[in-house]
Amino acid sequence: MSEHDEIDDTTRAALRAYRSPPEPPLEEMWRGIEARRLAARPLSQRRAWGAVPGWLAAAAALVIGLGIGRYAMPVRIDAPAPAETVDVQPSVSMRDASVLSGAQLDVPYEVATSRYLGQTAALLTALPSEGSGQVDAQFSAQARDLLQTTRLLLDSPAGDDPDLRALLSDLELVLAQVAGLRSAGDREELDLITGALEQRDVLPRLQSVVAQITYAGD
Amino acid sequence: MERTAIALEAAGALDEPVRIERVLAGDAKAARELYDAHAPRVYRLIFRLAGDPDLAQELTQETFVRAFSRLGDFRGDAALSTWLHRIAISVSLNGIRKIKRFHEREAPLEQAESIGIRLSGIDPDLRDKLAHAIEALPDALRVTLVMHDVEGYTHGEIAAALEVPEGTCKTRLSAARAKIRQALAPFRKE
Repeated sequence: MSEHDEIDDTTRAALRAYRSPPEPPLEEMWRGIEARRLAARPLSQRRAWGAVPGWLAAAAALVIGLGIGRYAMPVRIDAPAPAETVDVQPSVSMRDASVLSGAQLDVPYEVATSRYLGQTAALLTALPSEGSGQVDAQFSAQARDLLQTTRLLLDSPAGDDPDLRALLSDLELVLAQVAGLRSAGDREELDLITGALEQRDVLPRLQSVVAQITYAGD
Repeated sequence: MERTAIALEAAGALDEPVRIERVLAGDAKAARELYDAHAPRVYRLIFRLAGDPDLAQELTQETFVRAFSRLGDFRGDAALSTWLHRIAISVSLNGIRKIKRFHEREAPLEQAESIGIRLSGIDPDLRDKLAHAIEALPDALRVTLVMHDVEGYTHGEIAAALEVPEGTCKTRLSAARAKIRQALAPFRKE
């Protein structure tokens, strides 16, 4: 290039200042990338990136089992141990629990799943309408928590049921989108979410499963 | 600062083939590392081309969604950053053309930019004329000018990203600068 092609310092400085970019919103963009990749995948392949490591799945299963066992066990087995008692020897109820059939052991997961599905239904029902202002940070945080639970449940025995697994996979997609929602004024994102909800009939299926589990538990 | 970023990127490039393999195997952590290594620079370039934060965000996301979905096709003939920039430029130019409302967003953006320009001591009139002159350039000249004179890419990097010889790149830059000088000529005489 010849000297004739050079530009003066003032123009050079102005060029450098042309459309000065802000700090890139890396986290926000990453959430959007995850959600879009998830949405683009066939249902059966939606978990490649969201896959929970085996150790975490096992730990989650343990936590879910222990947590819900606190109120699942007294219902199923007589003679519950006092809540504050530390029993070194396995109690009768625990020994009984260890020989429960596989089908019976699924019940605690149903309780956990029921609670999770109820919370998810509430969240999705409260999805902000277009133009209703900023999405509450707590709303997004709750969506992220539920998204994590969805992934844990998919790797738990609750994910063995084909219908429930399909529903959890759809909820994983929707919750990932909700977690990445920045503003209720973001029409495209809201359209994408409501479109996904309608297309896959998510809310009626969700409510139906919640009702089934509730009635079965009565 | 750009050069530092490039040097850091080069240091990390040694691990890049391994990282790519891990991404292809479904490793989310590797995907995030790859994104973190390249997204800031890609976003900067896209923002300079798009001129709108929301649009730049959307186009950056689209760039990485495409890149990850096509990562299996990446042969390693060029650096990953070059390959990513190729996608970013294609996505940006197509996106900017398609999104008509982009122009509607320019007005508030211009106002926002003028604040920064005033702070940096550049004459707002010069800034406006320059912005219009850049936006009036054909895509090939505009991208070359923005990459070289605005973002500080080398001719080699630009040529690789645009898949043209370096000579073509230099010719385009020369033509772009000539148009800029021409557009600013009346202003310079004042």
